[in-house]
Amino acid sequence: MTRPWRMAALAALIAVLVIALTPYLWLFMTSIKTRIDALADAPVWAFTPTLEHYPKVFLDKGYLPLVFNSLIVASVTTALSLVIGVPAAYAFARYNFVGKEDLFFFFLTTRMAPPISVVVPMFLLFGYVGLIDTRTSLILAHTTFNLSLVVWMMRGFFDDIPREIDEAGQMDGHTRAGVFFRILLPLAAPGIAATAVLCFMLSWNEFLYAFILVAFEGRTLTVGIPGLVTPHGTLWGQVAAVAVVATLPIILFTFLVQRHLVRGLTFGAVKG
Amino acid sequence: MFLTPSVVLLVVLLLGPFIYMVGVSFTDLNYALPGRDGSFLGFDNYRRLMRDDPVFWESFRTTLVFVLGVVSTEFILGFAIALLLFHQMQRRRIVLTLLLIPMMLAPVAVGLMWKLMLQGEFGMLTYYLREIGLIGPQTALLGDHRIVLWTVMATDVWEWTPFVTLVVLAGLLSLPREPFEAAIMDGANRWQVFRDITVPLLRPIIALVLLLRAIDAFKEFDKVFILTGGGPGNTTELLSIYTWRVNFRNWDLGYGATCAFMVYLVVLILCAVFYKAVYWTEGRVQK
Repeated sequence: MTRPWRMAALAALIAVLVIALTPYLWLFMTSIKTRIDALADAPVWAFTPTLEHYPKVFLDKGYLPLVFNSLIVASVTTALSLVIGVPAAYAFARYNFVGKEDLFFFFLTTRMAPPISVVVPMFLLFGYVGLIDTRTSLILAHTTFNLSLVVWMMRGFFDDIPREIDEAGQMDGHTRAGVFFRILLPLAAPGIAATAVLCFMLSWNEFLYAFILVAFEGRTLTVGIPGLVTPHGTLWGQVAAVAVVATLPIILFTFLVQRHLVRGLTFGAVKG
Repeated sequence: MFLTPSVVLLVVLLLGPFIYMVGVSFTDLNYALPGRDGSFLGFDNYRRLMRDDPVFWESFRTTLVFVLGVVSTEFILGFAIALLLFHQMQRRRIVLTLLLIPMMLAPVAVGLMWKLMLQGEFGMLTYYLREIGLIGPQTALLGDHRIVLWTVMATDVWEWTPFVTLVVLAGLLSLPREPFEAAIMDGANRWQVFRDITVPLLRPIIALVLLLRAIDAFKEFDKVFILTGGGPGNTTELLSIYTWRVNFRNWDLGYGATCAFMVYLVVLILCAVFYKAVYWTEGRVQK
């Protein structure tokens, strides 16, 4: 490309970056601004930071348990989805059986199903068995969508491992299960790690299921956010503080799994 | 064997409740009204949906406008940014990762961020838009029923354009070099190369991106719920928000199940199209 074009392209990219990042920067700044700075008529960019909102909302208002709830729900969901989903993905990658692709399509539909349509019957069912407002109900709900993510992503990773490796393992006297546990799982470990991080993020970010299924005891961070937004007199510093805590780990994780995001978000259709 | 636990879990947690929900959609179950304890109604709820519920159809229309608007805008912008990044060799990875942040954040947090910036009295963006005269001094971007849907769509474009960029860039990077070299040897200009080689080669990726975005946009709830709650009036009441209101505000669960079933049906159709378009053409299904 010619030099002026190159400069124009670079300028455009920088503009895109600024647009993409400013709203988050503003949220972060609001979380460390005094109420007066936050509500000033003209936007304030330079100010003396304060950390008062964080202890106020997490300790005085009792939002700390929400962090634990989010952590527990996301971790257990991830573990459960992996334990159940990885063997299923292996089966899809290595075995042929009747109705295989129909079953695979079924897994896809569970991932794509609109949460609002799934949560209505779940609410009725969990109410019937007395699981409403427990972390268990939310873990089960989140596992339904993460499980199919695991199956879709891990099938791709297993497909990438040549079958000759299985055969070599069997020659060495391993059973099929032995090949799976001793040889394939270690080989697929980087894929499993990336899948785990994605599962964790999706559960941590999830709102609608949590909003309907857990109202008080089992509330997660995302459910805590709308509770702080009121038609009048919203304490923006405090809401922003909750939102920052809810999003910082995700930004960190994004850097960790960036390589595998394409595959995870396109159901394995694009390798990236 | 390997598959049983996952299938059992999904059948118990998804298929079971789903069938139960279809059952409920034929009843008058309502937690808010006495005596509506779920007696069988036949197809009454479906008749009501088709004939006597203008709000549902208005919501359907809003959702269609939303989906078509955001998917087309995100596609054009995201594709353009992917092309920019494709030609930008240095530090591509870090720039891409930074660009992805909007779509990785919890959608609730995204809604909150924009609500903060679009506040009528002290919102940062409202202030600057008024300063440069783009909107009137009294206009509130989230309060004016004529523009609120556009505002909400703009936030969705901000959030999901990076997704298009991510996938299209991955597609661009995976293309073979030879057709491009041959075309340039034959004297094709940039635009011809783009139109006759890049786009046709990327067709499966384009189909994938459009379908995935359409399905996701159709299900949109979190962000719009925080931003406007469906209002003012019901100008931004997407189908998922309407279904939520029928079920969990009016507690009209029989009719709510009917609405939820309709939403599911639309997504299922889109999903089948997705599967056919993406996986069959790639020959993966036959493998």
